[in-house]
Amino acid sequence: MGKVLLLTMIKGIKKPKGRMFLMKKAYRLLLGLVILSLLVSCTTMAAPKSLKVIMGLAEEEWNVMREHIFPAFEKEYNVKIEAYQTEAQDTEKILEARAKANRMDIDLISQDNMRLATLVERGLVEDLSEYRSLIPATVIPALVDVGEFGGKLYFLPYRPNIEIAFYNSLKFAQYGLKPPTNWDELFNVARTFKEKEGVARVAIKADLSPCTTVHLFDFCRSAGGDPVVLDDKGCFEAFVFLQKLWPYLSPDSKTANWNFMNRHIATESVYLGQNWPFGMNVIVKDGGKKEVLAYQGWRGPVKESHVLGGDVIGIPKGAPNKALAIEFAKYLMSKEVQEKLATYNGWPAVRSDAYGTVEEWQRPYFDAINEALKYAEARPNLLYWDAVDKALGEAFREGVIEQKPVKPALEKWAKFIRDNKR
Amino acid sequence: MKTAEKTGVVLAEKKVDQKKMRAKVKRVLLFLSIIAIILLILIPIYLLFKISVSASQDILTQHPPFLIKNFTWKHWLKILSAGQIWNPLWKSVIVASMVALLGIIIAAPGAYVISRLPKKIKYGVLLAIFSTRMFPEVGIALPISVTFIKWGLLDTNLGLVLAHLIRVLPLMAWVLTGTFDTIPRDLEQSAVVDGCNKIQALVKVVLPLSLAGLAAGAILSWLESWNEFTYAIYLCLADTTLPIKTYYYISRGNWFESAAYAVFLTFPVMIITFVLQNYLKSDYLSGALKY
Repeated sequence: MGKVLLLTMIKGIKKPKGRMFLMKKAYRLLLGLVILSLLVSCTTMAAPKSLKVIMGLAEEEWNVMREHIFPAFEKEYNVKIEAYQTEAQDTEKILEARAKANRMDIDLISQDNMRLATLVERGLVEDLSEYRSLIPATVIPALVDVGEFGGKLYFLPYRPNIEIAFYNSLKFAQYGLKPPTNWDELFNVARTFKEKEGVARVAIKADLSPCTTVHLFDFCRSAGGDPVVLDDKGCFEAFVFLQKLWPYLSPDSKTANWNFMNRHIATESVYLGQNWPFGMNVIVKDGGKKEVLAYQGWRGPVKESHVLGGDVIGIPKGAPNKALAIEFAKYLMSKEVQEKLATYNGWPAVRSDAYGTVEEWQRPYFDAINEALKYAEARPNLLYWDAVDKALGEAFREGVIEQKPVKPALEKWAKFIRDNKR
Repeated sequence: MKTAEKTGVVLAEKKVDQKKMRAKVKRVLLFLSIIAIILLILIPIYLLFKISVSASQDILTQHPPFLIKNFTWKHWLKILSAGQIWNPLWKSVIVASMVALLGIIIAAPGAYVISRLPKKIKYGVLLAIFSTRMFPEVGIALPISVTFIKWGLLDTNLGLVLAHLIRVLPLMAWVLTGTFDTIPRDLEQSAVVDGCNKIQALVKVVLPLSLAGLAAGAILSWLESWNEFTYAIYLCLADTTLPIKTYYYISRGNWFESAAYAVFLTFPVMIITFVLQNYLKSDYLSGALKY
């Protein structure tokens, strides 16, 4: 177009010498501008101005990210990190809408590892198998396993998480009790509290949500069972024990989930209950309940087992800045970042060679986390996870809450899992 | 005879007394039930407020006191000084107000026409409009949001306003049709006889008389938009609304700041309701028709 215009202009020139010279100059200038703008646009394509990231964090954790984690990366890559808050259950919706509209504008997600199957099943995240070598050798192996589906790696490890047992040390001391370390002790503690106070004070998460599933995984596995099979010997033993324990468990168990468990412990309606470590911020830091301490929990008749939770990194399919997102993922897994996250957020590190210096008040809880991590087991990555989740909850309702015979309940719901296997 | 008369009078007086007594009892019962309903509504709001201004030792105990013991603004100061609340507040106010305004502008003429249709057709049309609300929101939110994202309406006020209008318009049409039904056609005809044309009759006679209905519709649609959640999740990421922000706080488990956010969320609602309730008077039509 520019050329045509210039030729037309040149054709119309009456005094060729002076005007020709000017035209040539204008043509060169125009050409120069075109080349310059092409160069600028190419540079822009190569170096994005921003990296859009979504994560689920508390306000204090965001402050740590903005003050201590993002700036170094932004400086090194001359990029602005646009990070936004989302909860795990909303990440699926946000990605799905963008993917269907073919307008993916998110470069990286951090997602709860309990909610990965849907993202993979719906094809919302990139296959990261070719980046497997970026995972540091010191990363806890179970954390790599949770990101794999069908032999392909879809998620990179970033933050481990594990439930610890919170207990009210004053109430335990009042009745001369010690935090239980095995099933027998757990039963005795639950019974003693009920006998002494007339109200049961030990709770498990029995609201039949995925929180209950996490506890059932711990109980079944520590009795040598496989919760995905459900009607095996170990699961039977675990459910029989829970049926026996149920009358001595707090009525608050029925409403206890990851959120309400904190409240029940903080308001002293429950003296012992397991929850994710963020409970220390809610109960102790914000709530001022310094008497609430923590330890790693109890073992079963066969072994000690705790479900490995936490967050992983994923790259949405069609992410506009995939290469930079991979660099950011690498940065988040680095020793430097993991140490900062441990120091400022009190998160356990994803790699065994990263040590943070947590605040003094956090130390006992941090120790409990590290102790529990020794017995961490990832949940299997199953595309029929919803069926397993439902079967465990229903088997618990029938066999434990309604006190029906355990065996038929387990057999019924084990069949349900088999029927829904994909 | 006199004795019989006297007995009759006494009996009549007794009946009157009984009636008065019954009326009194009825009034007291009504009064008590009104108080009970008010308390039922206000106590949860009071508890929220109490948590937001109480020290943790008053709340995190087996038997928390009903009244505020150790008052503190600490939690409020924290959320206000963090600066995370103002943008979502502004966005929510803008979007809800736009939805209320556009809702009235779009729904009022439609509702007026519907109200003037023959009865059988009118109810058919209303039913058809309302059928759009029969679909569960979670089912239609995704395809609608996908379309809006394709149109480039992500993180824009316009996108959210349009999405909210999908919910609000049927409701507005229904409320306003009822309002226009109460305005007699004779009034419009009288205005026409007095020299108004159809539009003037509508603007000068019908609309002023329908203010109560318009205010009710505006409040309803404002609240619908203010509390809306599903579309906001899909369509807002960088620039989110206040209910979403509050939900994030609640999800992260800080009770005191969540309570402060929740109380803060109610302030604009109270202001809007108080402003618009001035128009909610039932006597707008009294004395309108003089035959």
